[in-house]
Amino acid sequence: MVVLMKLAAFVLCASAFAQEQPAARKPDRVISIVAERFTFNPSKITVKQGELIEFVISSDDTDHGFRIPSAGIDVAIPQSNKGEARVRFVAKEKGNIAFECSRPCGAGHNLMRGTIVVK
Amino acid sequence: MPKYSWRLGAFLLRCWLAGFLLLATAQAQGPTDLERRVVELEEKMRLLDPAFGRESRAQDLAKRLGALEKKMAEVLAAKQPVQVAAAEPAPPPVSTPAASALVPVSVAGDYQASPEAETRLPVAGYMDFHFNKVVGEPFRPDFHRFVLLFGHSFSDRIKFWSELEVEHALVEGGEETGEVALEQAYLDFLIKPQFNIRAGMLLTPMGIVNERHEPPSFNGVERPFVETLIIPTTWRELGFGLTGDLGRGFRYRAYLTSSLDASRFSAESGITDGRTAGFDASFRNPAKVARLEYAGRRRMTLGASIYSGHTGFNTPGVNPRVTIAEFDGRYSFRRFDLRGLFANTWVSQAGELNWRLEQNFGANPNIARQMRGYYFEPGFHVLPRRIRHDAILFARYEKYNTQHRMPEGYTPLPQFNRSSWVTGVTYKPNADVAIKFDYVFNRNASAVVRPLNGINMGIGWWF
Repeated sequence: MVVLMKLAAFVLCASAFAQEQPAARKPDRVISIVAERFTFNPSKITVKQGELIEFVISSDDTDHGFRIPSAGIDVAIPQSNKGEARVRFVAKEKGNIAFECSRPCGAGHNLMRGTIVVK
Repeated sequence: MPKYSWRLGAFLLRCWLAGFLLLATAQAQGPTDLERRVVELEEKMRLLDPAFGRESRAQDLAKRLGALEKKMAEVLAAKQPVQVAAAEPAPPPVSTPAASALVPVSVAGDYQASPEAETRLPVAGYMDFHFNKVVGEPFRPDFHRFVLLFGHSFSDRIKFWSELEVEHALVEGGEETGEVALEQAYLDFLIKPQFNIRAGMLLTPMGIVNERHEPPSFNGVERPFVETLIIPTTWRELGFGLTGDLGRGFRYRAYLTSSLDASRFSAESGITDGRTAGFDASFRNPAKVARLEYAGRRRMTLGASIYSGHTGFNTPGVNPRVTIAEFDGRYSFRRFDLRGLFANTWVSQAGELNWRLEQNFGANPNIARQMRGYYFEPGFHVLPRRIRHDAILFARYEKYNTQHRMPEGYTPLPQFNRSSWVTGVTYKPNADVAIKFDYVFNRNASAVVRPLNGINMGIGWWF
């Protein structure tokens, strides 16, 4: 009984809250990025200012990382066939934002980078 | 009696409330529906916090609901002082710069947290353990490579990378056992995506394997013959240059490096032993090397490289120019892989070089004026995708001739006009671990010197 009452109250509260959360909202664009030694494909991604973007990042070989230094985002991309990482963000200002691999992956690791162009 | 009436009344009231809630919330939900709603709420909560509720599946409904309530209270409390878009992102904990043009909303998926310290001082490595057998001889075990890679970010724009290698497990002074070698050690100055500066001990950007030699990244226990004898691998030189991403999938590297040493060229190994590897090198006539790569389409990489440099700093009176041109490509389509490479090497003044080296050392090295090699390697992933292990059946055909064109007055040695079929399997229980087996059929153009076939087994791993 107590459980049911709590559930009912929670359903109402959570539903109202979830409607206004960008995280719960359907992204405006979903962009797939594939990481492979030593490149992101695509490495240059153009998005619109204010859009809620979701990157779905997977690897074709070893573990990689996806780091946007200016936004403090840093996630590990699981190795091939072990899943994916999802990053959602809102680009507030126009300009170029660099991202890079943050897991050492070999000789070309330092240059495994890309750019998000916000228009 | 009134006491019992009160209890009965309370019981009926509870029943009514229960019925009302059931109707009001979910139109006669059963226990399964309730659980489904809780699961849905947990999934919604995980959009806000991906780490939420991972361990809760086994708990009872009341505990899970309690956890949801608690989390909701936390989220609401966090929401009060700031706007929704600036809410603290989900784990891994990130510190969003105040003036960031990009606001993270959530991070989710099959990831692990990435501690900041690891990106500041990354350490990686690979190892290669082989059993090699030439027909008629016993297996020879060899811990071929033990390699550690270190990097450091001085800042987001200045980065260091290095590779230190121990070959054949043992190094003793003055004996032909193993070697400790610095394979790479360079600084990257990251300026713009299309323009960056690199300086230090560099891998010469030629071919597939030079810059991509981690054992799980190629088939076969040993590296391709063409990428050993026509294009030296691993080929590192001291130098500096430019690197960059030109957009649309194109990227380049262009370096000035220390030159090859012509006094160590030979008929059998071509220019391979002319690598200085950063020791006793010369920058009097720096070599120029450039590579253009296209990787704009998923699972396809095409590359072309050119190298040119004078090599006579140890052969007074003769200063041969070595020029190498190569094209390579890798492509994967569904379960099918294909890679291939073509390389041609020109050595100018090869006749004068042979004469000079014969004068110095008493034997004619019979260095060719042109060397040529190519290979192609189809592979097929035999295990279904639902199995997380991978097994690649492959066959590689290689043709490599270090006596392709001879200078006037010199005769090619047919035993160095060679070809090989390398067939085998690469089994990967993990993307970073490769257990390899192959059989090598060697042929040459000589009627006198017969090459021997070989069996190779190996295990290599990257971490």
